Order: sequence, then structure tokens, then C-alpha cells
Amino acid sequence: MKRLMALLTVCAALALFAMGPAAAEDAPLTVGAIYVGSVNDYGYNRAMKDGLEEMKKSIPGLKLIEAENVPETAESERIMEGMIQQGAKLIFATSFGHQQFAFNLAKTHPDVVFEHAGGWMQAPNFGNFFGATQSAWYPMGVAAGKMTKSNTLGFVVGVPIGYAIGNVNAFEMGARSVNPNAVTRVVVTGGWSDKAKEAVAANALIDQGADVVTMHVDSPATIIQTAEGRGVYSIGFQSTEARTLAPKGWLTGLGFTWGQFMTATAKSVIAGTFKPAMVRLGLGQGMMAVAPFGPAVSPDVQALVTASAEKIGAGFNPFTGPVTDNNGVVRIKDGESWGGDKMGNFDWYVEGVIGKAK
Amino acid sequence: MQRSAALCLETTLAAASRFVLVALIAFGAFAALLTVAGMDPLKAYLDTIRYVFGNAYGFSELLVRMIPLLLTAVAAALPSRMGLINVGGEGQLYMGAWLATAGALALADQPAFILLPALTVLGFVGGGLWALIAGGLRALRLVNETISTLLLNYIAPMIVSFFIFGPWRDPQSSSYPQSSAFADAARLPSFMHTHINAGLAYALVCLVLYWWLMTRTRWGLDMRAIGGNPEAARQLGLPVFGYILVVMFAAGGVAGLAGMVEVSAVQGRLVSELSPGYGFMGFLVAWLAGNSAGGIVVMAFLFAFISSVGDILQITQGLPFAVVNILMAAILFIVLGWRPAGSSPR
Amino acid sequence: MNTALVVGVVASSILSGTSLLYATLGELVGERAGIVNLGLEGILLIGAATGFALSALTGNPYVGLIAAAFAGAAVNLIFAYLVVERRANQLATGLCLMFFGSGMSALIGRPFVGALIGGLPRLHLPGLAANGIGMRISSYDILVYLGVPTAGLIWWLLFRTRWGLVLRAVGENPASAFAAGYRPASLQYQALALAGFMGGIAGAHISIAVTQTWAEGMTGGRGFIAIALVIFARWNPFLAIAGALLFGGAEALQLQLQAAGADVSPFLMNMVPYLLTLLVLVVWGWNRQAVAPAALGRTFFGVE
Repeated sequence: MKRLMALLTVCAALALFAMGPAAAEDAPLTVGAIYVGSVNDYGYNRAMKDGLEEMKKSIPGLKLIEAENVPETAESERIMEGMIQQGAKLIFATSFGHQQFAFNLAKTHPDVVFEHAGGWMQAPNFGNFFGATQSAWYPMGVAAGKMTKSNTLGFVVGVPIGYAIGNVNAFEMGARSVNPNAVTRVVVTGGWSDKAKEAVAANALIDQGADVVTMHVDSPATIIQTAEGRGVYSIGFQSTEARTLAPKGWLTGLGFTWGQFMTATAKSVIAGTFKPAMVRLGLGQGMMAVAPFGPAVSPDVQALVTASAEKIGAGFNPFTGPVTDNNGVVRIKDGESWGGDKMGNFDWYVEGVIGKAK
Repeated sequence: MQRSAALCLETTLAAASRFVLVALIAFGAFAALLTVAGMDPLKAYLDTIRYVFGNAYGFSELLVRMIPLLLTAVAAALPSRMGLINVGGEGQLYMGAWLATAGALALADQPAFILLPALTVLGFVGGGLWALIAGGLRALRLVNETISTLLLNYIAPMIVSFFIFGPWRDPQSSSYPQSSAFADAARLPSFMHTHINAGLAYALVCLVLYWWLMTRTRWGLDMRAIGGNPEAARQLGLPVFGYILVVMFAAGGVAGLAGMVEVSAVQGRLVSELSPGYGFMGFLVAWLAGNSAGGIVVMAFLFAFISSVGDILQITQGLPFAVVNILMAAILFIVLGWRPAGSSPR
Repeated sequence: MNTALVVGVVASSILSGTSLLYATLGELVGERAGIVNLGLEGILLIGAATGFALSALTGNPYVGLIAAAFAGAAVNLIFAYLVVERRANQLATGLCLMFFGSGMSALIGRPFVGALIGGLPRLHLPGLAANGIGMRISSYDILVYLGVPTAGLIWWLLFRTRWGLVLRAVGENPASAFAAGYRPASLQYQALALAGFMGGIAGAHISIAVTQTWAEGMTGGRGFIAIALVIFARWNPFLAIAGALLFGGAEALQLQLQAAGADVSPFLMNMVPYLLTLLVLVVWGWNRQAVAPAALGRTFFGVE
């Protein structure tokens, strides 16, 4: 009997703990964000963090809960659920692989808004956003095509999703537009963030003659440092901060500027006016920016690249037919044009790319 | 009968209280470490207790985490009774998932009452065959099973990756490396609005069967005899060769079920990262539990609880999830060091 | 088959294989003394994190390297205490060590993620051509150059010194070594300290020399590969060199082949070293060769 009383007391105590003090909500909004890696990566996650910080500054009192190194598995669902339990009403799932899990939660939490980066799913409380990266790679190709002396460019790809392949294609097309002999060699590491493999991949491309190296992986740091160590040029991606890693070899790069979009989304959630959308904004539209040029880039090349970027910003679509793939098959017919909705469908490389997409 | 039950209870309580002491020391040491690192461990522990016990979702997630641990623990415990060391739970899990996926993709049009049993069988067979390789090599006295199961652990995830980057790649999700999604009929059902899935039933059935096998059947007795003294057992006429094969197959099968549950219930497709080390954790769970069925439940609960602490640490204090492995290791270190020199657990 | 590819693969294999070599040599010493350490991966991770952290803090990669080596040794001594003194189950303790290393390294490395370090400087062998090929295969950090000599040193220690003789005796039969007046426990401690030292170096090579960064879990299973490598190398330091090149090369080869435009499946290629090891083991088993230290792990290689 005594033991039973003791047990009941313990249970009661635990239950009291469980009820806990209700969190006083005087913050206008609590936002949760999950990153697939570390925010100190000079890359993808850093750009997301910068955007969120900008959002936080623009909305006084906003509370931001973050979790780094959240894997793209069911674990992410647990983490996001934990954030919702802490009062988050807007969740940014910042990596491609978080999509399904965020979507699952959107179904069970209709009062929470989810924004996923880089996917395609949508629901009344689930929106999708990303930069229109593909066309933005075109001016990068222009820079590379002009600066290369060996006519071989190197591209390290993490995971060969359609969007990444599209990036490579635009890059090569941009290079070809100023240098008809430029080829791009592609190495796939198999993961967004395998640093040891990235170092080997970069070395392999340079061994094969590439004197400009670029990448689509989460963090450009290892590849840029490897390139710098071997004295070749590099073009950055994800965050414009990466240029500090290659004082000599940096040409230019692409960076994401998420702050504007994130602030607008948060404000819409606060005001109750959120509408889900598939947002793809490119250069000149607020989500992407061209990084400052490095010391090796001469003013006339700079002018060329900037002009090309402005053309893209004004609406030029490099994926306008006729476009042939690297096996000689015509993939985009004359007069046709592939728009933003098709960017995830690439499973072929354009002429001039050495690699297999499938 | 009554006296032995009372004795049983006494020794269990003694063991339990010893273990609670160990856990307290470990939690305390971990708290000290966290404080040094500038964190607030007390708040973390309280948050976790609140999350896990005061919250239907938190508690259900804990149960969900236990499911693969229960299965892989049985996969390690079963051969251990016979003196066989199975550290291949990881690989067996992956191969179970692989074969189950093959079935899900091939039979995608079938209704659930055909698909689910089929996938269950396939998951079991996949893991079982993988373990059988090691079992066969050991029975033939060619390669020690500790090494072979360890080596096979590396190969299985590569086979899975080969298929999801290649023949089974999902055409729908812009070439992201994963298999096509399983049809709804191929998904193990969950209870109400939680993630607790039918895998829990599988785990409980396996545990009960394991307990019953070891304590109530002649086979269990034979297995323990072989484990104690294989030469003597052989001379007594026990078919050691056959036992090795069957037991390894069964153990691998149970781990394979864990894989099937992962792809059918949790992920809904085959992905490259199926397991954060469930195979190894299961081995440790079984070891800590002294290979007893009840102990496995308790230890799996503990490990799942520790994982929840990790979640809380990550969300509320910004620590990487991996840090909680220190806590897990601390408990194990203490238990490992506690045993008086000279005695080693079976 | 172009020259650039061959040169590239050789260079990458040497670079990737170096940390594998140190890890394997360390584990080899431990196993020769009869102890198998499944937690080697944890030691490597601690070495990687500590090495990177100290390099970032002091600005000197060599300081980081030394710190990593001693950190590895210190942690391995915890392992040693448990398995030697407390007679704990080696496999369970090893796995436990792996988890400990994973968590500890995450904690140590956390404040330093994204820090930029100079990395171990590349030293150029004098006299070799300054052109492409010569440059490529002759400019490595000091750990690479010391790799083969270290293997030779370990071989000499094990097979040409009194210490090594006694160590191997302990690994074969601790009871008779004890009867002969030696102290097996003391030797096992020494072996494990050395193993931890080398494991720490192996981990540091990845973070300070190869990638010059720190990320959780960045050693990618190399600790486990090293355990397989020790078997592959038949517990012989010189064969370990070949094994390290083979395993290190497999990873590099598929990336190099991609850059050259060939169509290979990275996964099938990565499987080859493990299948080879398994095959080799089956063949030995068939030939009834006893090459492993007889008392390895005690329950590890059961008496049949």
C-alpha cells in the first residue's frame, strides 16, 4: 500500500512537471528553422542563416528557434514537431530532403505555415521557394569561358538532381556563348556534403586539365580551397562570403539573398494573409546575387558578366531551342523554351559537358 | 514456485536498483560536462521528461524509436545465447529493407492484405540470407562470424545505394536518389495520429517468441548448451552445424524486419540513410540487458529516452545531436567497468 | 587510359590512404597484443576534432597534430583500463568507445566549424620536376612522407625488439607470458597507448591536411575500414601499406574515372576492397592458416 502511494505521488509530480508553466507568448511570431548542415559552411546554410537573421532584425521581438545538422530523414520531422511544440507558427525547412517530412507535418498542423526550399509540393499551409538558379549560372559560365586558358572547366555536383544538372547546363551554355571550345567535366560525389570526396573530386578535375572549378554542393569551402591550393580559378556558389577563401583565384560566384522573401513571408503570417506559392526568383528579382569579382578578373570581362547577368534579370531564358544534348539528340526544339517549371526535369547534359546524367 | 518467483523479483529489484545508480552517475557526469560546455543540463533533463511523459507526441516518438532497437537487440541476443557474436545488425537491416523494397516495387498493384505479409516475409528473408552468409562461413569453420558480419555491414548499404541511384531511382522526384514511393497498400499502418506503427507489434512478437524459445523449449536449452561448450554439445549429438545456420538466419531475419519497418512504415521508400546505427545500438542493448527479453525492453527504453534528450538538446540549446552519444557512452562505460574483474557476461 | 588519370589516381590514393595507414598500424599493434578495438572510429574522430580545434586556436597545424595524437592516446587509455583492468567485453567496450568519440568530437569541434586553418604545409621533394606530374606526386604533407617509415618502424618494433617479442607473446598466450615473468597488462596498456596515438594522428590527417575543415562524422567509417585492413594485411605492417593504398585508391579511383569521362558505378567500385577482404579470409580459412594472434579478443576468435 505504501509503495502504491509513493508511486502515485511520483506520477502526480511528473504530471505537474508535464503541465509546466504556459509559455507567455508576447513575441509577435515564433519561427522555427532547420538546416541540413552547419551555418558556418560559407555556403548554402550560411545563406539561409543570413536571410533568417535579416528577417529577425526586420521584425522586432520575433523569436527564432534553429537546429543545425538536421538529417534529411524522419529525424527532421521530430525536430520540426519539437519546434511546433515550442510555439513555432512558421517553419522554414531549408534543405531539399526535408520536403516530405515538412509536408507530413503540414497535414497534421493546419495552423502552422511551412516554407520549403527547393522542392515542388504545395498545400494551403505549405509553400515552396528557391532561387531560379539555373539561368543565373549562365553569367557564371560567361566568366569561366572568358577566363579559362585550357578550355576545360570543372563542376563538382553533390547529388545529381534535375535542378543541379540544369545548373551545369546553363553554366556550359554561358561558357560556350563566349568560348565555343569550352567543355565542362562533371564529377558527382554522391552527397551534398562529403568533404573528403569533394577534395578528391576537385583534384581529379584539375588533373584532367580544368583551370576553373565550380560546384553545386552545400559548402564550396573545400573545393575552393583545393583549387586555390593548386593555383586554379574558382567560382563560388550558395554564399557570396566564400570569396574570402580564395584571395587569388576567386573569379565570381552566385549567392542567395533570402532575407527579403523571408521577411515578407513572416509578415504575411503575422497578418494572417499567407498564401502558398511556388516562388522561384532569379537574378535581379531579389533572391540571387552575383558576388563581387576577384582580383584576376579584368574590367572588360567584368562588364561582360554583368551585362549577361542583367540580360538574365531582364528575362532572357538560355533554355530556348534548339538545344542538343551531349549525345547529339535534340532536346529542346527550335522555338520551344523550357520555363521554371521544367527545371527539375533535367536528366541530360548539354553538348560540351563531359559526364553522364543518368 | 512461489519462492522462486519471490527470489526472481528480489534479484531483479537488486539489479534494477544497481542500474538506477549507474544511470544516475552517468546522467550526473553528463550534466557536469554540459555545464562545463556552457549549457543548462538540468533544464534539458526537465524539458525531456516533460516532452516524453507529459506529451502524447513525445511519448509516442519514444516508442517509435524503440521499435528498431527492440528488433536489432533480439537479432544480437539470439545468436549470443549460442556463443555467436552478431555485430551485423546494420547490414541485415539494410538487406531486409532492400528485399522488401524489391517486393513493394514488383507487387505495387496488389492490395494491402497481400502486400504487407509479402513485404514482411521478404524483409525477414533478406536479412536472414545476409546473416546466413556469415553463418555458413562460421559453420564451415572458414571465417569467424564477428569479422564476417562486420565486413558485410559495409557492403549492404552500398548495394542499397547502387539500386536507388540506378535501377530503382525515382523518376518523380527530379532524380533525387531514392526509390519510388511505396503504394499506400505497402505502408504499414500507424495508430491514430501518432507514428507508432505496426512494427511495434512485430517487435513485441519477436520478443515474446525469443523469450519463449529460450526459456520454454528444448531448442533454447540446446542452444545454451552449445554456447557453453560446443565440443561437448557436438559429442552429445547436437547438430551444431544446423543450429548455427538456423540461428544466424533467424537473427538476421529479425534485423531484416527492422529494415522492412523502416522503409514501409517510417520512410515510405528506400533511401540511402536508413539507420543511424540501430544495429550497433541493438548489440549494446542486448549486451546491457544480459540477453534477457525483459532487460531488452528496459534498455531499449533507456536508449530511446537518451535519444529524446538529444533532440531536446538540439532544439532548445543548440547542441549537435551527436553530443548525447557521450551520455550513452557514459552509462556503458560505467556498466562495463562495474563488473568485478574476472566475470564476463554471456 | 590517360596519364593524367593514372597520376591522379596514384596521388589521390596516397593522400587518402595515409590516414588509413596510420589507423591500421595503430590497430595492428593493439591486436598483436590481443586487444581488438571496434571503437577505433571514435579515436579517429577525436583526433580529427582535437587536431582541427588546436590548429585553429594556435594557428599552428603541428601543434594541432601533436594535440590530436595525445588526445587519441588518452581516450584509448580509458578503453584500455576497461578491457585490461576490468576485463570488460572488448566488443561492447569498443562500440561504446565509438559512440563516445562521436559525441565528444561533436562537442569539441562545434565552436570551430567553419574556422579557416592553414593546414599542414605541403613539402616539395627537392629535385623532382617542377612540371605537372612531378609536382603532383611529390608535394605532400609530412605525414604522408612519414607513412612508410612509420610502417617500417612498427615492423621493427614488433619483430626486432624484445618489447615486440613479448608483446606478441602476450597476444598469443597471455597466461604463459605471465608465467614467464612478464606483465601482460602493462604491455597491453602500452600497446593501446601507441594505438591511440596513431589513431589520433590518422584522424588529424583528415581534418588538418586533406580537407582542412571539421564536420561531424567526417572520418566516414575509416576506423572500421582500418579494422578490416588489419585482417587484410595479416597483421603485418608492410602489407598494411598495400592495403591502405588499395582501400584509399578505391574511393579515389571512381571519382577520377568520372572526371576522365568514364561511366562507373561508384558503389560497385567501393564494394571491391571489402569483397576482396572477405574472399581472402575465406581462402585462409580453407587453408587453415592461423595468422591472427591466438588470444585476440579472447572471445573474438573462439576456440573451435
